[in-house]
Amino acid sequence: MSISTPGGEQRRPTVVSTGKKPAAGRPASGAKAGSGKPTAARAGGGKGPRKPIAPVKVSQGRAKGPIILFVVVGLVAAGIIGFGAWAAFQGSKPWEERADAISGIVNYREKDPELVKGSNHQPGPIKYTVSPPVAGPHNQAWQNCMGDVYDAPIANEHAVHSLEHGAIWITYRPDLPADQVSKLAEKVRGNEKMLMSPFEGLDKPISLQAWGYQLKLDNADDSRIDEFVKTLRVNASIEGPTALCNQGITATGTTPRDDGVQMPTQ
Amino acid sequence: MTAPATLDSSPESPAADGGRRSGTRLGLVGVAVAVVVALLLGFAGGLLTPRLTRPGDDSVEAGFARDMTAHHAQAVEMGMMAFQRGTDPEVRQIGGDIASGQQGEIGIMQTWLRGWGLDPTGSQPRMAWMPDGASLVKNGLMPGMATPQEMERLRAAQGREFDLLFLNMMINHHLGGIHMIDGVLDAGDESEVLRTAQIMKNTQQTDLTNLQNAKKRLGG
Repeated sequence: MSISTPGGEQRRPTVVSTGKKPAAGRPASGAKAGSGKPTAARAGGGKGPRKPIAPVKVSQGRAKGPIILFVVVGLVAAGIIGFGAWAAFQGSKPWEERADAISGIVNYREKDPELVKGSNHQPGPIKYTVSPPVAGPHNQAWQNCMGDVYDAPIANEHAVHSLEHGAIWITYRPDLPADQVSKLAEKVRGNEKMLMSPFEGLDKPISLQAWGYQLKLDNADDSRIDEFVKTLRVNASIEGPTALCNQGITATGTTPRDDGVQMPTQ
Repeated sequence: MTAPATLDSSPESPAADGGRRSGTRLGLVGVAVAVVVALLLGFAGGLLTPRLTRPGDDSVEAGFARDMTAHHAQAVEMGMMAFQRGTDPEVRQIGGDIASGQQGEIGIMQTWLRGWGLDPTGSQPRMAWMPDGASLVKNGLMPGMATPQEMERLRAAQGREFDLLFLNMMINHHLGGIHMIDGVLDAGDESEVLRTAQIMKNTQQTDLTNLQNAKKRLGG
């Protein structure tokens, strides 16, 4: 009997209910209920006390079971949520941080904040300190940047305006092998907020420009090209995703056209 | 049976009570801790669920928003040209309507992407979100999009020739656009995306009727 008492509160109702109705729902009493008739036969033999013992053992096992279960479930839940949180926050790192993580990128927003701020329209040819230019004053007309692949050099004064609207300008040295040029063109064609042109006098075979950012590369297979485009296209714009790339200059030639939107003669 | 049980437990009741009380206290603390942990988990889950269930970088919705932005941008380009240079009043009117309407929709789609914490540029090829979509892309152009040569011809065209060229190009553009919209209507989950896509489809279908009628009227 002394063994039966440590079962505590939990067990008590079992005992009581056993007394009231032998067929109570609990497994312990169920076991008893199953042996109800034989018990009745053996009742005189003092086997009655043994019956409570069975529930005690069961309930002790049960007491640990739920705790272990809850701990395991809790840990799994915390793990899932923790991983989800980590993954979600990792994925939503601001683009500025991801841009700075691209090796070799030059961040003119930090290097020359004044240059990157100035976005005034200015007619005629403009001298740029960075080559190819990444920011600064520009002509009022922008270069069309609807995935345009220009086969000849274009005017910086228009291209810089395209950068301001969020475009990525891919430039390459005219001696870049044709297969590399077509690899670059594939990344541009059909993709608005992208333009590409050869650039005379580049110190590297390829140079990528976004407003305030530049990355110079040797090879069109470099995976940093896609990284640069994904991170900075539109994001680097200071005028937002609805700034236009159409209605721009579609002609090539490095002499800036001051006369605004290109209008074919009617 | 009831009687022995009662008798048996009464002599030992002090010890039993003591054990029961500390057990109860432990149990209560356990329950309290469990409740607090459950609430915290629930709270964290509530915070995270929108983040985890919103469309991801490779989702149908994100693919549609990015690709339809590019598709729309060309319609804006052609519509603006028609608005400026069309000869027929209806061509000018339709051009302005399409340009401003689709530019507005670009704003809506870009706002989705920003809200989902995604870049305007995806990592997947164009149309990869649509079954067999990638095979429909030709030279980087999605269904219905004009080639650089066609755009060049439109820039150079004038008068009635321009009007008819614009109408033909915009009819093709809308047919391709509706095909892509059907893609997201089939595979998308986001109710806001589906609602907007349905409105886009309605608009482009109405446009199509008017573009085709204008083409007939102009003898094209």
